[in-house]
Amino acid sequence: MSVDNERWERMKKTAQVHLAMEARETLTRMEDSFSNGPGAMQYFYDLHRASYCDGTPLRTAGKTIGTLCVQVPEELIYAAGAVPLRLCSGAYAFDQIGADFLPAKSCPLIKATLGMLHIGPPAFAGSLSLIVNPSTCDQKKKAGEMLEDFGYPVYHLEMPPAKASEEARVYWRQSIKKFSRVLEKTTGQRITEKRLADAIARVRSAQTAYRRLRDFMKSATPPIRGTDVMVVTNAYFFDDIGKWTGAVNALCNELESRTGTGASATLRHAPRILFTGSPPVFPNLKLPLLIEESGGIIVADEVCSASRLLNDMVAFDEPHLYDMIPAVADRYLKPCTCPVFTSSEDRKRKLVEQAQSFDADGVVYQSFAGCMPYELEQRLVGKHLAEAEIPMLSIETDYSPDDAGQLATRVEAFMESLKGRARRKANDEVRMMK
Amino acid sequence: MKYFAGIDIGSTAIKIVLVDENERIEAHQVSATGSHFHRNTVEALGRLIEQTGFSRGDIAYITSTGYGRKLFKEADESVSEITANGAGAGAGRVSGEVRTIINIGGQDSKVILLDRDGHIKNFVMNDKCAAGTGRFLEMTARNLGMEVEDLGALHHKAQAPLTINSTCTVFAESEIISQLAHGHNREEIIAGVHYSIARRIVRLAKRVGIEDTVFFDGGPALNAGMVSALEDELMRKVVVPELPQLTTARGAALLARSAWIGTGEQVNV
Repeated sequence: MSVDNERWERMKKTAQVHLAMEARETLTRMEDSFSNGPGAMQYFYDLHRASYCDGTPLRTAGKTIGTLCVQVPEELIYAAGAVPLRLCSGAYAFDQIGADFLPAKSCPLIKATLGMLHIGPPAFAGSLSLIVNPSTCDQKKKAGEMLEDFGYPVYHLEMPPAKASEEARVYWRQSIKKFSRVLEKTTGQRITEKRLADAIARVRSAQTAYRRLRDFMKSATPPIRGTDVMVVTNAYFFDDIGKWTGAVNALCNELESRTGTGASATLRHAPRILFTGSPPVFPNLKLPLLIEESGGIIVADEVCSASRLLNDMVAFDEPHLYDMIPAVADRYLKPCTCPVFTSSEDRKRKLVEQAQSFDADGVVYQSFAGCMPYELEQRLVGKHLAEAEIPMLSIETDYSPDDAGQLATRVEAFMESLKGRARRKANDEVRMMK
Repeated sequence: MKYFAGIDIGSTAIKIVLVDENERIEAHQVSATGSHFHRNTVEALGRLIEQTGFSRGDIAYITSTGYGRKLFKEADESVSEITANGAGAGAGRVSGEVRTIINIGGQDSKVILLDRDGHIKNFVMNDKCAAGTGRFLEMTARNLGMEVEDLGALHHKAQAPLTINSTCTVFAESEIISQLAHGHNREEIIAGVHYSIARRIVRLAKRVGIEDTVFFDGGPALNAGMVSALEDELMRKVVVPELPQLTTARGAALLARSAWIGTGEQVNV
């Protein structure tokens, strides 16, 4: 079947070229538009260039475990001696491959991830010992089954459909316990208390560095763009955790030294945006880039490709497995605001709280076309935000580049209306003082 | 006296409005966008200035809007057509009256909701599909061998409007041709097209909510049949301004004036 093989190789090569083009375009847009940005961001731009454009392998030793969805406990993977790799793809190139065998209306993230894995694991990943697929949304569930069909070893990590009940907590803890044994079998290394404590500490260092970075966005003159923060968190998907933590801390040190010098990533009075919804995964930073190119600045986010990846820490009481493993399980269920759960209470509350603590002027809610959970929650969230008097713009889009003009009109109109609101508020305050 | 220009560069037509310092409309013009919209816009502005007898220096500020707004570098500023349309319909200045703005353009349609104080609260657009836009009317006129301007007059002569089932303009064309072949008259088809567009608009509008008073602008608002069908589907009367095709351009002109005059008198949409 050498003709098939040849065609297969061509398809891989073409996809790689398209991916490199997309990645290059996103990186160029970002690098060119922030000329006096912090030098420490270069590490992250270069990392993406190396992985997405050049296909440079990042890891040479050890077992890699692919993860789909943010609920897979990384700490357990590290404790079992392997390295996690988040597989969710943001590439239009792969979305087009997935479109060959997935329904037209399915979520672009699923199409892209399956498209990518259909032609083989990402060039920089090496081989995958296992793919862990939490049973979150319908499309992710079926994606897991399809990956098995492609020949990947897949572990379906069972998640409860609700998170508040004690039943859900018990169910998830049992699911995680079972998963930890599967991990041990896959890597041949036992999860000991010391290894798990080390893993938890390593992840906690990374999370601490992330929080340090994120807190800069609370400033009235943010020193970095929201899209830069997204590039940093996207690097977390695949970078070595120690290197990543070091690079984030170096970036924070540089940003600290620039405080008070007047260096700001944006103009004064730029509308401050809280970005929520379907996750923007590199290179699909289409909507976040548009927001920031239209004069806004993304000061916070509630997406699983950025803040939700790193925000919540594991908290255990006793350094023993019987406490640590359930504590790890809790961290991945309790604070999770994915719309697959029966209630959106937690998400609604978190959005208002974030909007307030980051002083956001408005919320941009992205749903991918075909993502029912996010689209359905849009109304509930919108209503809750309206009651808190926080304006919201809903955008439905996918990975294709052809709706840029249409999105620009909506985003610009939203920025204009936020600026108008801010002006009126300022005028009212002046009037009240008189 | 200084003048301010609002230029709405649409997909079908370029609309220019000049207002004076007292917000009076001094001059206006509608011309075809064509394929070279930048060149055509520059020429259109030139022609309008010549017509008025002013000099270019009398025009203190130009605000552009519409899909061609960014590439028209001669403008001092560009705003989205949503903000411009809002300003043109009285947003930011007339409180409590206009609450819903329905705009049907050459190839898009939009609904803008204003709050009690006249500021833009929400909006929804259809710009992915030409059904429910001026394109649909153009296609209809073409197939009936008529001018778009003459469609409205035949609307009320229909005994009963025909139902157009196709949601897509391209397939609706085939449907119309087939209906003509079956002996249906132009009047029924025209009325049917108007109701089809009106239904789509109302579906769009429901996504942001419809509140009185409803303001209807854009070129198709010149069509009395379209207004009638829209009122029937909305189940309420709508207000159509004089020169509805120019509302957005006029809004841009008002924003131009406001930008030039300064914070004291800014139109706050």
